[in-house]
Amino acid sequence: MSLYVRMVVVLTVIGLISGSFLATVGMLTEERIALNKQRAIEEAITHVIPDTESSEILYEEKGLAIYGGRNEEGVLIGFGILASGIGFQDKISFMLGTNTSLTTIKRLKIIEQKETPGLGAKIEDEDVFLKFWENKDCSEPLTLRKPAVKTSEELGPTEINTITGATISSESVLKIVNSSLERVRQLIKEGHVQSEQQDVN
Amino acid sequence: MSTKSIGQEFTKGLWDENPVFRQLLGLCPTLAVTGWVINGLAMGLATAFVLVLSSLVVASIKKFIPNQVRIASFIVIIASFVTVADRILAAYFPAISKELGPYVPLIVVNCVILGRQEAFSSKNSVSRSFIDALGMSLGFVLALLALSSIREILGSGTFFGYQVMGSWFKPWIIMILPAGAFLTLGVLLGIALHIEYKIKLRK
Repeated sequence: MSLYVRMVVVLTVIGLISGSFLATVGMLTEERIALNKQRAIEEAITHVIPDTESSEILYEEKGLAIYGGRNEEGVLIGFGILASGIGFQDKISFMLGTNTSLTTIKRLKIIEQKETPGLGAKIEDEDVFLKFWENKDCSEPLTLRKPAVKTSEELGPTEINTITGATISSESVLKIVNSSLERVRQLIKEGHVQSEQQDVN
Repeated sequence: MSTKSIGQEFTKGLWDENPVFRQLLGLCPTLAVTGWVINGLAMGLATAFVLVLSSLVVASIKKFIPNQVRIASFIVIIASFVTVADRILAAYFPAISKELGPYVPLIVVNCVILGRQEAFSSKNSVSRSFIDALGMSLGFVLALLALSSIREILGSGTFFGYQVMGSWFKPWIIMILPAGAFLTLGVLLGIALHIEYKIKLRK
């Protein structure tokens, strides 16, 4: 066999074997990986809308997904808004829990972030950042409190505390929250997302 | 062909030819994911998985690979095992997989792995290549553990996630930033060279 033919044959055979090997591994792990993602989302919904028993996806578009959380009786008790946007260094994505009329934020959970460790990465920190989001009035766009204060009592009704040394990361989360809330309101108005409270009324 | 004893083949990876401290190979993952011990350990084990399996395969099929396409063949084999490692992490250890992010696929370009295929597995028997890969992997894991222990203890005051420093300790944030990785690696390399120098003097 000439060298050229041998080179082609050897590379092709290695490629084919590797390819079929990978296809097998891919098939074997696919289901579990999808399940892991699903579970992570469900956990986030249960965290941001307390008392959720079951949840379902209501709407999805690029950078935004809306989940509905239902309690034991099957009544819709809140929306889980999975949104993402650009932070200081990379994408930030989070799950935001609101009530069905989009007037109160129940809780916020950061799903993914690659902010500076020790500074911007504190957006994941419950005591430094996330606790200030709990039960926050969001009928008006939220604003940032700068410089930072120590307790939630010192904040105005629509104010969110800044992380000292990480203004841009705090601001990024705030902007994504405001714009996604705006977008969800628009979607509900246009009838893409049904909030059952309106049906009852 | 290597003329070392099997034992030496294994231990050379730990010190004499340690991939990080002596050969300065695989520095990208060494610097990037050693902020926490758990990440360093996971990265070390994933690299070990790929290195050992690739060495076994390359040493078994080296006769059939024409010299001209050996690098391409090695890379395809390495990339396959890296993808397997990536999928297994994503399926069974989602938290670690999320932490390591793009650095798992980047094991493909870790020079330790391709370097061992080129310098050792393509010239030596399957059993020797296996021992060599094991030794190199262990050397790499130990180096990552050394770096990540120092960085996690000084940078977060924890070890393996457990608080080890008292409340008086203020974490040095720089140690978990990229600069801390370079500082730690530099100091460790200096210490390694110093020890090597002392050993040579004694001989």
